[in-house]
Amino acid sequence: MTASREIYWNIHGHSLMYLLFIVALVIFGYGFYGKYKLWRIGLPEKRTDDIPTRIYNVLYHTFAHRRIFREGYPGSMHGFIFYGFVIFVIGTAVVAIQADLGLQIFHGNFYLWLSLLMDLGGLAAIIGILMAYYRRYVLKPERLDNQRDDAYSLHLLLLIVVTGFIIEGLRIAATQDPWAAWSPVGMVVGSILGGLSPETIKGIHKVFWWGHLLLAFGFIAYLPYAKLFHIITTPLNQFFSSLKPAGALQTINFEDEDLEHYGISELEHFTWKQLFDTDACTRCGRCQDNCPAYLTEKPLSPKQMTQDLKAYLASRGTAASGVSAGEGEAAEVAAAAEQQPLVGGLFSEDTIWSCTTCRSCQEQCPAMIEHIDKTIGMRRYLVLEESKFPSEVQTTFRNVENNGNPWGVGFADRAKWAEGLGVKILSEDGDVDILYWPGCAGAFDDRNKKVATAVVKVLQAAGVNFGILGTEEKCCGDSIRRIGNEYLFQMTAEENIETIKSYGIKKVVTQCPHCYNTLKNEYPEFGADFEVVHHTQFIQELIDTGKLYIEKPEALDVTYHDSCYLGRYNNEYRAPRNVLQRIGASIREMERNLEKSFCCGAGGGRMWMEETLGTRINEERTKQAVATGASTVVTNCPFCLTMIEDGLKEYEEKGIKAYDIAELVAKTL
Amino acid sequence: MNILVCLKQTFDTEAKIELKDGEISTQGIKYIVNPYDEFAVEEALKLKEAHGGEVTVISVGPERVQEALRQALAMGADKAVLIETEQDDAYATAKLLAKAIEGMDYDLILGGQVAIDDNSSQVATRLAEELDLPQVTIVTKLDIDGDKAICTREIEGGSQIVETSLPAVITAQKGLNEPRYPSLKGIMQAKKKELKKITPEELGVEVESKVETLEVFLPPKKEAGKIIEGEAEEAARELVRLLKEEAKVV
Repeated sequence: MTASREIYWNIHGHSLMYLLFIVALVIFGYGFYGKYKLWRIGLPEKRTDDIPTRIYNVLYHTFAHRRIFREGYPGSMHGFIFYGFVIFVIGTAVVAIQADLGLQIFHGNFYLWLSLLMDLGGLAAIIGILMAYYRRYVLKPERLDNQRDDAYSLHLLLLIVVTGFIIEGLRIAATQDPWAAWSPVGMVVGSILGGLSPETIKGIHKVFWWGHLLLAFGFIAYLPYAKLFHIITTPLNQFFSSLKPAGALQTINFEDEDLEHYGISELEHFTWKQLFDTDACTRCGRCQDNCPAYLTEKPLSPKQMTQDLKAYLASRGTAASGVSAGEGEAAEVAAAAEQQPLVGGLFSEDTIWSCTTCRSCQEQCPAMIEHIDKTIGMRRYLVLEESKFPSEVQTTFRNVENNGNPWGVGFADRAKWAEGLGVKILSEDGDVDILYWPGCAGAFDDRNKKVATAVVKVLQAAGVNFGILGTEEKCCGDSIRRIGNEYLFQMTAEENIETIKSYGIKKVVTQCPHCYNTLKNEYPEFGADFEVVHHTQFIQELIDTGKLYIEKPEALDVTYHDSCYLGRYNNEYRAPRNVLQRIGASIREMERNLEKSFCCGAGGGRMWMEETLGTRINEERTKQAVATGASTVVTNCPFCLTMIEDGLKEYEEKGIKAYDIAELVAKTL
Repeated sequence: MNILVCLKQTFDTEAKIELKDGEISTQGIKYIVNPYDEFAVEEALKLKEAHGGEVTVISVGPERVQEALRQALAMGADKAVLIETEQDDAYATAKLLAKAIEGMDYDLILGGQVAIDDNSSQVATRLAEELDLPQVTIVTKLDIDGDKAICTREIEGGSQIVETSLPAVITAQKGLNEPRYPSLKGIMQAKKKELKKITPEELGVEVESKVETLEVFLPPKKEAGKIIEGEAEEAARELVRLLKEEAKVV
């Protein structure tokens, strides 16, 4: 006798199941269609190119749980539930194949192993669900807000698994299943309930079988109306996630004559994908937990923004369908949401300006929600249409317009830092292999001129044939683009690209990771065709190829600060650390490092704005650096260097110094 | 109320002044709207927002001055007039402006209290005289009350409140307002706004400059300071000697 079990044991009239299933699907479909209509409010955007990469993203993020597992407790909790239920889906599919398609596969060793796997999956799911209860209602981490839906979802999942085990136990007990050992949990349940009379067992079994079925179908029907919808939307969101370089913002096509507005001020200005994002969010709060603005008490939480947008979108749906949002308070909230403007109402201007574009929210989000383009979109509306922004930013714009740098120093002095250093200026001698791009900071900021000088020393020591553009170089436009002045950005970018191309440059080395990101990831859209590397990458290459000899390594005790634009935006964590090791430094890592690194506070144009709300981000980061006990803080970015050096003033008695990597390398030559 | 704003295009405040063949080189120079004139434009726009009417910006200078006028249009001015000429002395400029303004319909003329290039503060004052209008200069606060203007002027060590009938010429001082940054919508709209170019010939005036430039030179470079070393008594003696013999001030 081969191992198997009777699929509809003890059940009569199971065809009713199909009717119920259809009912569940209809309810699901209705809810899904309602959501679909809301997504369609957004603008079209193509997110279906390169299907293999998109499928890979789903496999990587959903089935391998890569981002979810970055956090131990929540990761394993979710993993237990997820893999448990994946096994259930497989098991149920096998049953359906046998019962509905008539393929005889539900027997023998396959049956036994599947039974065992299903039981273990169920056990894992229960462990995961209990962990979730414990975390949500006992540990209560700050980032979780508890809504009724959260409780319903957990109850529903738990009931489905528990009733499943009870049915299995009852069947094992009543049929004296000889392969019970392959269903260990069911066997235990069966031995507990086995004392009941066979008739009672059969009676209870029927009730539980139908109950289990109703719960499972209820689960399907409930999906689009609840957080559990993320089972569908989150993998889809991963599938539709942007394949562009992380550091390239969406571009406004100013040539488009039909363009009637700039940026985002209405729901209709978002793309469908940006609206879809809101349904992929499970309110897990990882974004909020890593947001430098939120953690320094600014009025910004990426999670709240996503949820607020979701509610705003839903209220639109309610208004459009003519259905009342409910009685009393709920209706009032919905009505208020419908009336308030998106920018300056739903999202306060302070919220919109608080973002440093550090990208930690996007980097941590397992659902791959894209926060930054939304915020920049709203900034674009404020800048390009309303001309509303923190007043100090106007000076920044004017400085870039008139002198090609945000500091506002006369552009004629742009090459002054390099006087006497023997640096070629391309307009005088264009025969170079490398264009060195010191950026505005390297050219105009006194502290960062020292870094530029150090880079020059390193390049010269390695015998690199390089030059600078001098007065022909202009601000790369990173800050102004992220502040929302897309128009000024594009004008500046086009000028720079034309200048660089006119010298036939093939490779650019930048001092600043913001310039690096913009030149590398954003300029190609405007016609750039040159390779761009950051100085830390280039220095690593010079050491590796033996062109740069470290004569006097020094056993420095340092901590290394990953800048957002080199790290998270461009995934470069190794080169700077390798260089530090080559020059003899040992690194004490900060708790927030690598992709979880904490912003210095100057990104996203915040460098040029006053920080008047909450506590200061740079002080928070400096505190983290000081806590390592290292005597030197190493940066790779002029903004970070400025911010951290400023933060270190509070720790003067400790004598901790901040340096750019290039400066430390230059000292060892 | 209809407002005229006289503005001048100047070198950027950070521009590097260099001489070439005895004249100030304009090579690679970035031009801006004279910052004080920008205050005047902003004030005109605010008054327009409060009282209605039209804002016309008017300038005298070469063709490139169109850029400055376009910027004022992008900020929100309605019309622009450029009197195209290379002449740039205050007398001629005021004459040309007066002639162009004569036939216009206006309640108020605004301008900056000084241009940052020649620092002469003459044009608006001369214009008021040419048009026989009252003038209030260096204004940091301006209120319009019917056909009167109540102006707060900055004076040495304090401020002075002046009332004048309208129309009048009023010049703006820093502190009057914070000029707006043109929105992209404004920039796009500005491209479609009227910018009228007229020549002195078309105006029917022929004016001769009253000012003749004899020589242009850069201020002498600052020399590095001298630090006198040594004991106090000795150092003091040396200082006195240097003040007498080198600096020749005592």
